[in-house]
Amino acid sequence: MYSSWRIFFHASIISAICLIFAGCTNSCSQKVSDTDSTLNVVLSANVKGLDPIYANDTYSNAVISNISETLLEYHYLKRPLELQPLLAESMPEVSDNGLTHTFKIKKGVKFHNNEAFENGIGRELKAQDFVYSWKRLADPRLQADGFWVFDGKIKGLNEWRDKVSAGEADYDTPIEGIEATDDYTLVIKLSKPYYQLHYVLAMGFTSPVAKEVVDKHGKEYLNHPVGTGPYKFANWVRNNKIELVKNENWHGQTYPTEGATGDEEAGLLADAGKTLPFNDKITFHEVTEAQPRWLNFMKGNYEYMGIPKDNFDSAIAEGDLTPEMKSKGVQLFKTPEPDVTYVAFNMKDPILGKNENLRKAIALAYDTKTSIEKFYNGQALPAQSPIPPSIDAYDPNFENPFKKFDVSKAKEFLEKAGFPEGKGAPVIEYSALTSSTARQMAEFFKQNMAAIGLQVKIDSVSWPQLQKKIKEAQAQMWGIAWLADYPDAENFLQLLYGPNKTPGPNGANFANSKFDELYKKAAILPPGPERTQLYQEMRDIFVNEMPWVPGVHRLGYYLRHGWIKNFKMHSIINNHFKYLRVDAKKRAELKAKL
Amino acid sequence: MAKFIIRRTLYMIPILLGIALITFLLFNMAGGDPAAQAAGKYATAERIEEIRTELGLDGPLYVQFGRHVQQMLTFDFGRSWATKQTISSMITSGIDASMSLTVPTLIITQIITIALALFIAFFRGTLFDKTSLIVCLALLSFSSLVYILYGQFSLAFNAGLFPISGWDPSWVGRWQYLILPILIGVMLSLGGSVLFYRTVFIDQLHQDYVRTARSKGLSDNVIMYKHILRNALIPIITVVVAQMPFVIVGSLLIEAFFQIPGLGGMTYQAINNADFPVIKAMTMIGAILYLVFQLVADILYAVVDPRVQVR
Amino acid sequence: MKATTMNAVNVASNPQLEQGRSLWYDAYLRIKKDKVAVISFFTICFYLVLTLLSSLGVIFDNYGVVDNSLTYLPPSWDHWFGTDLFGRDVLARAVHGTKTSLVVGFAGTGIAMAIGTVLGACSGYFGGKVDDLIVWFYTTIDTIPYILLVVAFSFVLGPSLLTLCLAIGLTAWVRHCRIVRAEYIKHRDLDYVQGAAALGASHARRIFLHILPNVFHLVLINFSLGFVGAVKSEVILSFLGLGVEPGTPSWGVMINDAKQELFRGVWWNLAAATLFMFFLVLAFNLFTDALRDALDPKLKNK
Repeated sequence: MYSSWRIFFHASIISAICLIFAGCTNSCSQKVSDTDSTLNVVLSANVKGLDPIYANDTYSNAVISNISETLLEYHYLKRPLELQPLLAESMPEVSDNGLTHTFKIKKGVKFHNNEAFENGIGRELKAQDFVYSWKRLADPRLQADGFWVFDGKIKGLNEWRDKVSAGEADYDTPIEGIEATDDYTLVIKLSKPYYQLHYVLAMGFTSPVAKEVVDKHGKEYLNHPVGTGPYKFANWVRNNKIELVKNENWHGQTYPTEGATGDEEAGLLADAGKTLPFNDKITFHEVTEAQPRWLNFMKGNYEYMGIPKDNFDSAIAEGDLTPEMKSKGVQLFKTPEPDVTYVAFNMKDPILGKNENLRKAIALAYDTKTSIEKFYNGQALPAQSPIPPSIDAYDPNFENPFKKFDVSKAKEFLEKAGFPEGKGAPVIEYSALTSSTARQMAEFFKQNMAAIGLQVKIDSVSWPQLQKKIKEAQAQMWGIAWLADYPDAENFLQLLYGPNKTPGPNGANFANSKFDELYKKAAILPPGPERTQLYQEMRDIFVNEMPWVPGVHRLGYYLRHGWIKNFKMHSIINNHFKYLRVDAKKRAELKAKL
Repeated sequence: MAKFIIRRTLYMIPILLGIALITFLLFNMAGGDPAAQAAGKYATAERIEEIRTELGLDGPLYVQFGRHVQQMLTFDFGRSWATKQTISSMITSGIDASMSLTVPTLIITQIITIALALFIAFFRGTLFDKTSLIVCLALLSFSSLVYILYGQFSLAFNAGLFPISGWDPSWVGRWQYLILPILIGVMLSLGGSVLFYRTVFIDQLHQDYVRTARSKGLSDNVIMYKHILRNALIPIITVVVAQMPFVIVGSLLIEAFFQIPGLGGMTYQAINNADFPVIKAMTMIGAILYLVFQLVADILYAVVDPRVQVR
Repeated sequence: MKATTMNAVNVASNPQLEQGRSLWYDAYLRIKKDKVAVISFFTICFYLVLTLLSSLGVIFDNYGVVDNSLTYLPPSWDHWFGTDLFGRDVLARAVHGTKTSLVVGFAGTGIAMAIGTVLGACSGYFGGKVDDLIVWFYTTIDTIPYILLVVAFSFVLGPSLLTLCLAIGLTAWVRHCRIVRAEYIKHRDLDYVQGAAALGASHARRIFLHILPNVFHLVLINFSLGFVGAVKSEVILSFLGLGVEPGTPSWGVMINDAKQELFRGVWWNLAAATLFMFFLVLAFNLFTDALRDALDPKLKNK
């Protein structure tokens, strides 16, 4: 049997050599360059394409915000959030009635060089590019995800959209509400007051694209984005990583010289006045599995990341970093998220919709405190209403009487609802996503309800199936969250506005005429105490009816390595990458020890 | 021979139709409304209707089936619901990565397992044989997830032998990322493969020709190489060919955990996002590949062993 | 290398009885001699008893007891495999997970065997158009990648225990069907079947009462083989979020959860599920091997 031995022997030797070679090349190539200033960012989901009009998820937005820019942006450091001009020369001139907004466009802003342009050289950005790009956003044939930001708000835009549908208009047809009066002046005319306009002009949907490039690539624009931003699109290995390189012809900005209280002490102003951006390259790594994401961060392959629920214990103890993490030079950054998690009831449902006491019993039976310990590591704020902190109309002292965990009171309400001890109550279906965490949250909800005698059946669904169920008003109850699009309570209250009912954003199908009336009144009021007053009245109607069980307002926890500077986060700001600075020398030094 | 190939190819037509029918029934019933999903969080009834028309979801059933068959024949599966990319481009960009994982895995597995199986077959009936049998079955009894989770955690992270995950599109740079996934892939198929080949070889050892060869005084070496291996070629072809669709379709979990941008990881994402057009496309492609490679196998049989009837 | 069954059938006048007795008794004797097979058999029995007792609530009735103050306790005397997120005893959950696996294994494979046997029998027995249709059907199913087919079924039916059984049952029958068909083709022209026909036995009678007992050992072997596949499919489907209803103990769900728990140091969920699955699957694998050797040495080479 000598020969088969030999085959086996050779095969083993070859594999062993491969292994050793692999091990070596790998550890040899681990040496980190101390001059390479690439910023490595990890995304926990795949990017959906780089066309701004479809960028309705955090991940795509993170990438696009470096390539394309908007008229306005949020100040990087100041809190509460404050708008500042980006592509605009200054904040717009607003007419007395609030209906006409005139923007002056910055001169000398150039698109990235691209073969779609004459001679391959990026041409200057003009006011007409906005008119084109916003028509694109409204084009019914493109089904943009971001059309809602202008829907029904701008004079003549919806009419133009209808005409395009009917084949009676095209991009050459002028729109009264969006007009470029000269190359650098853009006039927006509203059909009714819209105080959120400036916020949406800081959202990626409204960033200008160049007609030449869109014409060249058509639907494939999502793989060939060209903008005016600090970074240019370089390469995309799908399902793996996206690489951006510094735009040498960027119109330029400097690091802010003032910030919120505490920023100076935190070293966030050390780079004040320096030219942006700091890094030559950004690599976005698309990693959908939690284990490789965490292990790579711990090896220093990503500069920072949000802490996944299950890593919390290994990184954080009593709200601060563990000594082990500190010894590795890892630092912690905390920020309240402008969001709310909630369990929505379908108000069209014959059982839940008609029975206010049942909804209140369910709310009272839900143990928010324990859920925060289990799913948010004790680090989240119990939500009393839809309005999260850091947004006007949020009142830290406000307490929702039905959000107190109180089993006996819950039982009382259950009796009032006509189901003493849960007798006679039908089994309620709770739709939950199939991910581990969503499933565990659903299980927790079920356990809570069982304690008062209510039976819950968990219906596991994929995201599209859940969307379908909600939009067809077929779901009975489901867990979901809302992250602010902009810092205005209106963005949360519209989730309960009657006319927004399914398939609109009001998935709960909540309809209360008083609420709707207040909403309409508030919509045309400028920010101020009067509007805040109305928002709070709406909140009280919500509490009275409880169409949701509000869950928590989350707290964002980010871990970052010692070599990343100027680190500050806010979920609404998504173009923060140009402010971040990688200290390449320090990275080489610290990473070697990980 | 040509006649045989033509006949075998024609035989594929009803099967293709069957594949079209089954995938159509399954995925049309599978639910999830692409229009509701595409309309996003600020959907209106109007927009959903528009999207339905846009996506061609409004026609009668037979029109939709016609479109389905057309997609299968032209390999134009439209765009993914989740990524908005054309599915054909997603597939072409993933084949390369998948195959650089699966081809070496397949080759290494075959070499190692054939060598091992020959070795074990030689000691058939002994304690060594029994022990190997149990070890192989034990290897088969772990879930593939355990190999992946453990391999990544201890070999890559704790021991630092390999990168944790990643990819380099260049042909030289990618291997450092591929070694651990290939190792795991080999481990996954080792047990089953050794068991299979052991049976094949033992079966061959009992054949008359081996006895004849021995009686002619041929050495074990010659018998093993010249006779047994050659006679075992048919089962080897069967195994390798049966694996070919997976070689192209890739490995769902390994690719997802090691960030290998192949078709397996893509399919895994599609399942997570209930991205039906992609799952449907991969199902059809897997089926068609299987059919094609069956044809190849049949032709190979005829080449390897002229005794196989060319009907 | 011809199977003894064939010879027996040809010679015996009342074949199914005599041949049946000798085949089964022979197999019993062979398995009895094989120590590994005996141990495997008792391991499987042990799992069955465990499932029975735990389902009746005699042992480990604490699998659903939630105590949120006991989250993720490491293994100790009170909790041999520690506790999970909700402070539930992991050992108890693993024991109850056995039930899910066994149900999926038995029901899923049972459905597959039923479909495969009936279709294979009809196909092989009747031949002609029926045969063409059935062969076309299973060839089509066979070409579709197994895991994607199961996933598609799960999407259609919505995740639940029943779905798991159906999805596995409706997809895993092809191999068995093919083997049964081949056997029926051999048997349909044999004397004893012809004799039964002469005595006026109906087709159904001939298929199920006369031939089936003679090929039933194949059902047994394939059942055992399919069982292992079903248990492993359950794990993969749970991992893909297409498993049992949330809250039901299942090894697949435990392993799925572990992918996030492992690197925080919580290894016991994974360990418990893996060990439980390992011994069940290993026992089944070893037993199948012995069963195959005992019942049909020829089949081993297929």
